[in-house]
Amino acid sequence: MNGFSPSTHLVLTIAAPLIGAGIAWVLGSRGVAAVRQSAAVTTLVTLGLAGWLVLRYLAEPGTAAGLPYALSEVPWLTEGIFDVRFSLGLDGLSLWMFALAALLSVTAVFVSWDAITDRPVGFYVLLLVLEAAMLGVFAARDVILFYVFFEFTLVPLFFLIGIWGHEERRRAAVKFFLYTLAGSVLTFLGLLAIVLWHASHANVVTFDIEALVDGTTIHPLPMTAAGGWLQMVVFLALLAGFAVKVPIVPLHTWLPLAHVEAPTGGSVDLAGVLLKLGIYGFLRFSMPMLPEATAVAAPWLFGLGVAGIIYGALVALVQTDLKRLVAYSSVSHMGYIVMGLFALTPVATEGVNLQLVNHGLSSAGLFALVGMIYERFHTRNIASLGGIASRAPWLAVFFMLFTFSSIGLPGLNGFVGEFMILLGAFQRAWSGVSPAWQFAYLVMALLAVAGVVLGAWYMLWAVERVLFGTSREPPRGGQDSGQDAADHGHAAATADRCDLRWHEVVALAPLAVFVLWIGLAPGTFLRPAAVAVQRATAAPAAAFTARMQADSTGTAVQASTP
Amino acid sequence: MNATSLDTFALIAPELVLVLAALVIYLGGAFAGLRSGWLVALAAIVTAMLVAQGRGTGVSAGVTLDGFSSFIRWTTLASGLLLALVMAGDLFVAAASRGPGLRRGGTCEEAGTFLILLAGLSLVGAAGDLVLLFAGLELVSIPTYILLGLKRTDARGQEASLKYFFLSLIASALFLYAVVCLYGLGGSTDLGAIAARIRAESTGRTVQALLPLAIGLGVVGAAFRLAAVPMHFYAPDVYEGTSPGNAALLSTLPKVAGIVVLARIISTVGSSASPELLWRVVAGLAAVTMTVGNVMALWQTNLRRLLACSSIAHSGYLLVGIAAAAAGPAAAPGLLSAGGLPATLFYLATYAVATIGIFGALAYLGHRWPEWTAGGGARPPRHEIADVDDLDGLSGTNPVAAFAMAVFLLSLAGIPPLPGFWGKLSLAVSALDVDAGAAIVSGSRRAWFVGLAVVLVLNAAIAAAYYLRIIAAMYFKTTKRGVQADGGLAAGVAMLACLALVGVLTLQPRALVAAASRAGEALIPLTPPATTLLAPDATLATGR
Repeated sequence: MNGFSPSTHLVLTIAAPLIGAGIAWVLGSRGVAAVRQSAAVTTLVTLGLAGWLVLRYLAEPGTAAGLPYALSEVPWLTEGIFDVRFSLGLDGLSLWMFALAALLSVTAVFVSWDAITDRPVGFYVLLLVLEAAMLGVFAARDVILFYVFFEFTLVPLFFLIGIWGHEERRRAAVKFFLYTLAGSVLTFLGLLAIVLWHASHANVVTFDIEALVDGTTIHPLPMTAAGGWLQMVVFLALLAGFAVKVPIVPLHTWLPLAHVEAPTGGSVDLAGVLLKLGIYGFLRFSMPMLPEATAVAAPWLFGLGVAGIIYGALVALVQTDLKRLVAYSSVSHMGYIVMGLFALTPVATEGVNLQLVNHGLSSAGLFALVGMIYERFHTRNIASLGGIASRAPWLAVFFMLFTFSSIGLPGLNGFVGEFMILLGAFQRAWSGVSPAWQFAYLVMALLAVAGVVLGAWYMLWAVERVLFGTSREPPRGGQDSGQDAADHGHAAATADRCDLRWHEVVALAPLAVFVLWIGLAPGTFLRPAAVAVQRATAAPAAAFTARMQADSTGTAVQASTP
Repeated sequence: MNATSLDTFALIAPELVLVLAALVIYLGGAFAGLRSGWLVALAAIVTAMLVAQGRGTGVSAGVTLDGFSSFIRWTTLASGLLLALVMAGDLFVAAASRGPGLRRGGTCEEAGTFLILLAGLSLVGAAGDLVLLFAGLELVSIPTYILLGLKRTDARGQEASLKYFFLSLIASALFLYAVVCLYGLGGSTDLGAIAARIRAESTGRTVQALLPLAIGLGVVGAAFRLAAVPMHFYAPDVYEGTSPGNAALLSTLPKVAGIVVLARIISTVGSSASPELLWRVVAGLAAVTMTVGNVMALWQTNLRRLLACSSIAHSGYLLVGIAAAAAGPAAAPGLLSAGGLPATLFYLATYAVATIGIFGALAYLGHRWPEWTAGGGARPPRHEIADVDDLDGLSGTNPVAAFAMAVFLLSLAGIPPLPGFWGKLSLAVSALDVDAGAAIVSGSRRAWFVGLAVVLVLNAAIAAAYYLRIIAAMYFKTTKRGVQADGGLAAGVAMLACLALVGVLTLQPRALVAAASRAGEALIPLTPPATTLLAPDATLATGR
């Protein structure tokens, strides 16, 4: 197919949800069924296009060497000082996240099938607009275009949470929006500072990310007192936005609220894709463009990652609300990813790139399942749930699967990612750090291992209380609640009504497939990303090693002088 | 009538069209009604646009027609067209309903007064002479008093117009002192001659004594028109006390005049030793103004008070670009020299579109019914939309207006990819570009402007809080109360036109950015790139 170049293919994949949103809007008068069917078709078509694009990407020989794929650009604001281009493309860093965004959008639509009855047109239109923004942010190759998509993801989610959320939805929506915005405006300034630094030294204005990476390698931002510590300042500015997005403890307070109040479809996209934007930002901007500042900040962020693991796990342990528990488990698991990222070893960073997808699958699956449980029993309170496994066996099977994926059972995807991250963290503790840091790194890595145990504890404990035990028959909204209370002990009779329906299986099954696939054949997923990840993290890793060597020789000299 | 004055008339032909139409309206007002007055006004503005089309540059008798003045003229005419629609719609409310305080009927002189205001503003942009500049500013102020006074007759309306009147007089007097100082320095009313004289004697004692005074007084005079600190406090009261159409007018046209005054001051004194003072003053005012405006807005429940505070904050953003422009000419020339003035002009245009759109929507919506259940006694009378609460559930009752309002508010908040984002992008770049490449050393100019950029973006985040409050009311709440949407179709048309403009500027901001660049450079030429300053890497420059 000559006319269907990869570039067109990519643009079409990103545009498809927008076209679908238009169709859904037009079909609005035909009622909820037509709207949700059109949304479902749109996401499935988009997933098909994205999947096909991934296959074409993998078949292209140049991509294995780290060449970007499916490039296209249209000038947007090329006037005076600006050279903003609508330029898109995929590379190893973005490939899997791009695919994940397409995959989870299908889940988001199918979990909302029965849950959304109020103003369905608006809901599905926003969900599709959000999908386009998520696909776009990972394909953007221009700093401003990235920022446009990065910020624009807030708008649909703001409305999704605020209109279709639960009791405290208005507060959650506003808090989520403002918190993220306040951080990311500083990121915006940091990105502009990089562009202007590059422009004033290379004498050419460009907003192209790749050109900026090359340019900042030739003219690194100053990391000296005479240069005003510009590199560190810019790093902190970028950190402000990315750390809120991840979120890195202690900037996580928006997350539990937003997750708990969001409708299930919104939670799926938020946990699955949007949290990864922070990590993606580090990999795409901070690490390659500001390597020395990254090296300086790495031990501290490594520590914050570990703090997040332990803190998130401990808080999850005492939750009474199932959705809140899953939200805090996200905080904990993102802690691993942060730790792995700033371990700055090849194994850990590759593990991070894989774990982004893994956590996207497992947390999206868990949030979807919590939503399904809520639809059935109208409560998320762990104490009022129980014995679901006997009434809804398939729901229980999926719940167990994603739980095991989340806690890192060998054979499933979570194990591969967490193992690589922990391995990388220990490698960092044993090699390449000065003696002064070695003890601290070891303690932190051991704490992270303890976090794995905690993670298994709170998840399995919750599973035990919710899925097994006696069927507690929580209050059920609707007319049959009285009858349910009357024939106590005949819970099994209602099992057929209780188990997964076809659209819920459609929502969960693809995730389950990838949970197993990545767990059994991780190489398939690690290989295409490896070169790009190594390239992004090579400079900060080298800077870190140089710093640590200088540090250890410095202490050695100090020790020998007296 | 000699050739020179004919030339002058040719240069200001569009303004003459407006004034002539105003005279026609004044004369015909005895025989015709309100509606025909606004129809003539709309026709006059369109005619002025046609006359202004493709007019070249020229200088004659104090009138300077260049890229800058034609940008101001087009901004004036375009926003004038939209404002006329909003105000016309606004008038239909007054005619159709019996809302308290709103004068019924009105006279068609309002339309004529509005045209004179537009002509004055356009002349301000073209003024290359102190006398013409001052006369133009008064041509903006005096019609504003009349429009404010004509609109409402209740106590609040009178308070608003009196407050505006007295403060405006003080501001005009202060500005007149600045004019006198400049005349004393330059010995001429021609701004070019004054600039040359100041440049020649920049170390003289007279200049050193009088110039700071002139700058200070001029900035304060402009601050009133911008509603910037220290002359900001009238805005909430006046906006609250007047109609949406007048509020739209106040939040756009005087700001254009204020920006022109500041730009003229920079271009006049920019070559002397005092820009140091000028940019420090403006940068300080910018930081204080946006913070004060936004923090005040957080606590407002009345929509027009809230939008007044937001307009104060936006003046602060505009001043960021002005500060960068003031620092620009004497700066160690940056390689890019984004220039603050183009950014300011671009931002001004994006702000005007969104603001007129919001007030257009409010004017279009008009009134709402209070909560009332059948059988609960007599239905209480409807009231004008005043508070944020009055917009509760608007997405259900008036989805188009709610959508348009949401877009305008998000644009004002600077959410990408809306025009407000492009505006804030240009402003942030212009601030970061001052001495780009120099180290950020405490107290240096670079540090000031980096700090200013940080204050700017943090303020954008604060501002999002109260814009979101309005959006949340419209979309997240439900209500049984209905909104009347009785404000007249014209305001609705203005709202939709603004929505279309926002759409165009989102997808294709390039043309407006280019026009703003040309306009800015016409007034304050940017220093050419100094290629040797920072030892650029030749391979990178040629390789890319």
